[in-house]
Amino acid sequence: MNTLPLADKDPAIKAINIEKLELRAAGSTLFSNLSLTLEPGEKLLIKAPSGFGKSTLLRALLGFVPISAGSISIFGNELTSRSAWQLRSRMAYVDQEPDLGDDSVETVFSRPFSYKRNRHLQLNSRRITELMGQLGLPDSLRSKKITALSGGEKQRIALISALLLERDILLLDEPTSALDEETTFSVARLLRERKELTILAISHDPSLAGALDRTVDLRQRTRKPS
Amino acid sequence: MTIIDISFLNLALAYLMFVVPLAIMMWLRLPMISDTLIAMVRMTLQLLFVGFYLQVVFKLNSVLLTGLWLLIMIVIADLSIVRSCGLRLRAVAGGVFISLLIGTLTPLMFFVFFVFQDSAALGAQYVIPISGMILGNCLRADIVGMQTFYESLRRQEKTYIHTLAQGAGLMEALLPFVRKAFHAALAPTVAAMATIGLVALPGMMTGVILAGGDPMTAIKYQIAIMIAIFSGTALTVLLAIFLTTRGNIGIDGLLKQKIFADQK
Repeated sequence: MNTLPLADKDPAIKAINIEKLELRAAGSTLFSNLSLTLEPGEKLLIKAPSGFGKSTLLRALLGFVPISAGSISIFGNELTSRSAWQLRSRMAYVDQEPDLGDDSVETVFSRPFSYKRNRHLQLNSRRITELMGQLGLPDSLRSKKITALSGGEKQRIALISALLLERDILLLDEPTSALDEETTFSVARLLRERKELTILAISHDPSLAGALDRTVDLRQRTRKPS
Repeated sequence: MTIIDISFLNLALAYLMFVVPLAIMMWLRLPMISDTLIAMVRMTLQLLFVGFYLQVVFKLNSVLLTGLWLLIMIVIADLSIVRSCGLRLRAVAGGVFISLLIGTLTPLMFFVFFVFQDSAALGAQYVIPISGMILGNCLRADIVGMQTFYESLRRQEKTYIHTLAQGAGLMEALLPFVRKAFHAALAPTVAAMATIGLVALPGMMTGVILAGGDPMTAIKYQIAIMIAIFSGTALTVLLAIFLTTRGNIGIDGLLKQKIFADQK
């Protein structure tokens, strides 16, 4: 958990640099030889059939899945089990079916700000109201329990919580799977507006794909075990 | 006042009381008669063994022998906790052992040196029943605490990962699970303290009264032992959780699944 040097001051540094990556799950190889780079501020959609290892890739970027071959660098810093702790504070992650516990929405928003590593951040209540409004959520929802929310509401709460942390990279796993078309457009607009934010998203939703810079098909970038 | 001894013949008559539950089981056709009979035989043999052993321990009254007895009891409790929690022996037995040792010895020593303020209380007559009561409660609390902690960490892995991904440190991410486990483990002792004397006469108090002690002395013993049990269980649960997370949580912050006995 040492402090890493700020390598990203160099303009040539990539936000995410994946080189010849191989990931394994339950003893078998998911894919190998994946190389992929994301410039700072770039918004990329990755697609592949179910079970290919897309969600595992996002978890690997957060340091939760061991890398069996190749490497991942985040803003020039190589991701290892040890460096992951610090690099996680450069990223925010929204899971497909976010499990946000059973507290109130307000607690879900405020809790990450109590973590030592996030203490430099300030929770801005007006900003929460603004983001909720942009995603079609009433402010009154903040006092509600997470357990009383619908799947779509939970997804939006998880996205807002991730955006509030003001990270450099946003990792999204099917963030609009429970949303209607109109709300998906709102999410797409919100993400598009954030020029500085680097996004790596998994989605089957064409409305979201339209808001991102490019799409990469993992099947064409990797070697699958036969 | 002296205590009335029960002859072995009279004790045999006590077994007649087993007829009532056995008859009910037969009438209800419950498939637990053989389990009950095995339990009855085990109880008899175990207690007879302990009875003979304690007779020797009390007679010799050696600190070494008393300590050995305590150590054996702690090892048995340790194995029983690990098995009941469905955890792998090699992964957690060491941590649980240390937690039980500290959780039992700390209140015991407090009892001897601050409550009794008499080194005679280091004798087998005091150490064995007091440590036995503390250890028995530590065992129960550890099972509840460890099981709650590891099972909820396993079931809510997504929440845990989400917390880590949001920048939480290891302790910050584990704390909600520790809190939940600690509450589950301590709640029965709190409830027992709140109803003691009203719902049931506690074991130690009954023991002192049966031995011919004054009821007020019995009550003072009981209050002291309840506090000792409470502090012992609190200490052992917290230590058991923290000591067993060491080595079972990877550098990446995730729980190693091989801690669970049902994982290959």
